[in-house]
Amino acid sequence: MTTTLVDLDLFTDLRRFGAADVSACFTCGTCTATCPLSDDAAAFPRQLIRYAEVGLKDDLLGSKELWVCYHCGLCSETCPTQADPAEFMATARRYAVASYDPSGLARILFTRPVLASVIATVVAAFLAAFMYSAHGPQESSSLDLFRFIPDQLIHWIGIAVMVVMALAGLVGLVRMTGQVARREQVGLRDVFGSRPALRRTLSAAWSAIAVESLGQRRYRADCGADDPPEPLYRRRWLVHALTIWGFLGLLVATVLDWGLALLRIKETGTPIPVWYPSRLIGTIAGISLMYGVTMFMVARVRRTGTSYQVSTAADWLLLVLLWLTGATGFLIEAALYLPAAPGWGYWMFLFHVAVAMELMLLLPFTKFAHAIYRPLGLFFYARAKAHVHTA
Amino acid sequence: MSEPRRIGVYICHCGGNISDHVDVQRVREAVAGHADVVVAETKLFACADGTQHEMVTAIQEQNLDGLVVASCSPKLHQITFRGVAKRAELNPYTYTQVNIREQCSWAHTDDPEGATQKAIGLVRAGIAQSRLSTPLNPLVVETLPRTMVIGGGVAGLRAAIGLADIGLQVIVVERGSRVGGWLAQLGPMFPNDRSGREQIDALLAEVAKRPMITVITNAELVGKSGSFGNYTALVRVNGEPDNVLEVEVGTFVVATGTDVYQPELGEYGYGIDGVLTLAEYSALVDSASGRLTYRDRPVRSVAYIYCVGNRQPGGNEYCSKFCCAATAHASIKVSKLDPKVKQYHLHRGIRTYGTYELMYSESRERGSVYLRFPDDTPPEVAKLPSGQLAVTVLDPSTSDAELTIPADLVVLVTGMVPRQNDELTNLLKLPVGSDGYYNEIHPKLRPVETVVDGVLIAGTCQGPKTAGESVSAGLAAVTQSGGILKKGFAELDPLVATVRPAACTGCAECVSSCPYEAISMTPADGREVAVVSAATCKGCGGCVPVCPEDALDLLGHTDAQTLASIDSLLEEAVR
Repeated sequence: MTTTLVDLDLFTDLRRFGAADVSACFTCGTCTATCPLSDDAAAFPRQLIRYAEVGLKDDLLGSKELWVCYHCGLCSETCPTQADPAEFMATARRYAVASYDPSGLARILFTRPVLASVIATVVAAFLAAFMYSAHGPQESSSLDLFRFIPDQLIHWIGIAVMVVMALAGLVGLVRMTGQVARREQVGLRDVFGSRPALRRTLSAAWSAIAVESLGQRRYRADCGADDPPEPLYRRRWLVHALTIWGFLGLLVATVLDWGLALLRIKETGTPIPVWYPSRLIGTIAGISLMYGVTMFMVARVRRTGTSYQVSTAADWLLLVLLWLTGATGFLIEAALYLPAAPGWGYWMFLFHVAVAMELMLLLPFTKFAHAIYRPLGLFFYARAKAHVHTA
Repeated sequence: MSEPRRIGVYICHCGGNISDHVDVQRVREAVAGHADVVVAETKLFACADGTQHEMVTAIQEQNLDGLVVASCSPKLHQITFRGVAKRAELNPYTYTQVNIREQCSWAHTDDPEGATQKAIGLVRAGIAQSRLSTPLNPLVVETLPRTMVIGGGVAGLRAAIGLADIGLQVIVVERGSRVGGWLAQLGPMFPNDRSGREQIDALLAEVAKRPMITVITNAELVGKSGSFGNYTALVRVNGEPDNVLEVEVGTFVVATGTDVYQPELGEYGYGIDGVLTLAEYSALVDSASGRLTYRDRPVRSVAYIYCVGNRQPGGNEYCSKFCCAATAHASIKVSKLDPKVKQYHLHRGIRTYGTYELMYSESRERGSVYLRFPDDTPPEVAKLPSGQLAVTVLDPSTSDAELTIPADLVVLVTGMVPRQNDELTNLLKLPVGSDGYYNEIHPKLRPVETVVDGVLIAGTCQGPKTAGESVSAGLAAVTQSGGILKKGFAELDPLVATVRPAACTGCAECVSSCPYEAISMTPADGREVAVVSAATCKGCGGCVPVCPEDALDLLGHTDAQTLASIDSLLEEAVR
């Protein structure tokens, strides 16, 4: 048996990230009992609230359970003391993202809304200014975007942004892996050490990435216990899935377009018809993303359902960046179809590229970080689940 | 043989409770033809209103002079059927209750025949008892309109005011040098944050307005004589042997209060600097101005350990019930002083019943963390090398790991323990329960009366109570005193011992056998004979078999009645 010295300040620190009501908790466990996702392999939210209250920081940050929760809000509806466990889970995820990031940027973006807005604006402005510094003429007969901002410049800045994002994300992932593996008592040997271990790892990775993250299986099947059920077009899992698929679709279209240019099949910026693969994917994905993000924003404004009762600046930052990226993209499309090239089309383009780059650059530091941490959490969950089943 | 009697016998089915195992019809037949039995009937429920009415009618129409009901325990319905006799103008002491439920049907469910035979024997014995009964009348004793309240805490003071208000004189006897008890030492209290001192001062102001109340401090009850309603109490003042007051009172209200548990050295680290009892900690919190400090150092974290000295198997097994609420309250006070102080409550189930629950909620809302430790794994207190205290506890609701909580102060939440007061206990013959506190007759229905007539108990001498509960008990004692003393007289059960002076040789064996000091030797016709004070005698019968001359008899249960009962019980066997 090990003895853990508790961190007296953990709870105070957590409160900076939200969850004002959770101290009303008296550990009855109703939340865990009613949660459709909580099971033997991952029991929450009660135990995580306990970690926070008592001051078990390492246990909290090592909880894969944080990422099994999709914030349906059922626990908050059934909580006898209105401690709002669902909001606590969201808070703990914010805290975890901030803790996995050693730079301190994520902490600022989550806990200081005004400063976060300033940073977001400055970063976008800086990226735009940097690209504008190398700008060419604005052709007025037809919209020639890549004469205005050279495509090579965009490519290289884009690559730089992706590298920074990947490095920061990797650091966070490694830190999270260390914490979770310690709590789960999973060593390197358990993951890669033998053929059965490797098989189990691959199966868990498939479940975490393909089935759950891309397929949204449990979000769709187990988390949809709304009573009365929302109409399909408003159901959270679908709105969320359309957002993911839309974002990934746009990423694929972008990479595809770049790939075509690298293969010298098609120069970046050459006019192409709507049915052209990269453009078709981009258009459909864009519509999907815009639908999802807009539905989320509407739900947050109207506070429809328990999940949307509390909206933090961090929630809005991600939605706004996604929405601006999508909306400006479609405005560029519109500008392309206008007979004379409008001047605002060029500015829209500059804005679009800057916001999209910022979105990727800040990914590990914003709510967007759940896109990398959740699959890792779900990986550990799938491993544990397989263990529970075989035990 | 004695005079012929006219006795009515009723055998109760108790709706099957009796008749399922005892053949009540056969019992009836066995006694129906008996000498002196005029009425013998079975009843579905003897205690039912309609049945009682039928009995009254039968007693009057048949001109009965004795009544026997074979039903349940006399504890349950003796008073009921004495009432039936009274309403029919039959002397209630000619009534005999026979218990054929607890003693027959319930005890012998496996043997209906045996149960029936036993019931027949018991009913015959009851008839024999009633046959030799004589009409008895309650003893009437005059009572003094004066009460002595022992103990000047909140219960005693409030009782004194209540007694004075119903027109009784009151003498408050306080052993200490000042009145107020525990409450006078307490700071702001739930729910309106008035300090204990303030509340006692308010009571003392009321006491001062009432000339009917006399308060004597540094005083102790050292002697009691006389009988119910007419006691003579001896009060020693200032511990001086020749400074003894003699006071005549009708009743006593014992409100001697309680002690708080004092941990032993080393118990949860008690003795280490910074480990305090709840009482010590409360005083520290109430005296804090601005921030909470201990030995001039700011307190940033506090760990409370609950149920110290209480709820201990083999020790004080009871719950003191005020301590959870008092600790929650203290934690709220501390968080108001400094919301940043970390407070950990290590408990065994929080019992903030009633409105105290609000404090428990507020305490949690203000950031106090509550951890329930397993009963068999108490927390451990140690000093860290850094000089800070640390409490190690197992919190099963978190994980299986032990937690170590650093704390500037460790508070041992200590409950109440009975106050050692043997002299008073012996003097007033107060019954002491297994927990060491004084026992009332019935915890619900007779909550302040003791088996000693005219001696009432109130407050924490009865067991752990909050201030509010103590005051309620004090006021209940006022009502009971009033009920006894305001009529000016009291009626006592006449079932007491008597002496046939002619047979008494004056050996005084009976005097020492009486636990109530009801028998004394008195000169009569030039010799000493035993005399029983009827008002003091409790009718226990302990003196009767002690007498070598059979000079003593117990009214209602005379030797003759007992012998006749035994004969009747054995009738079948002898035949």
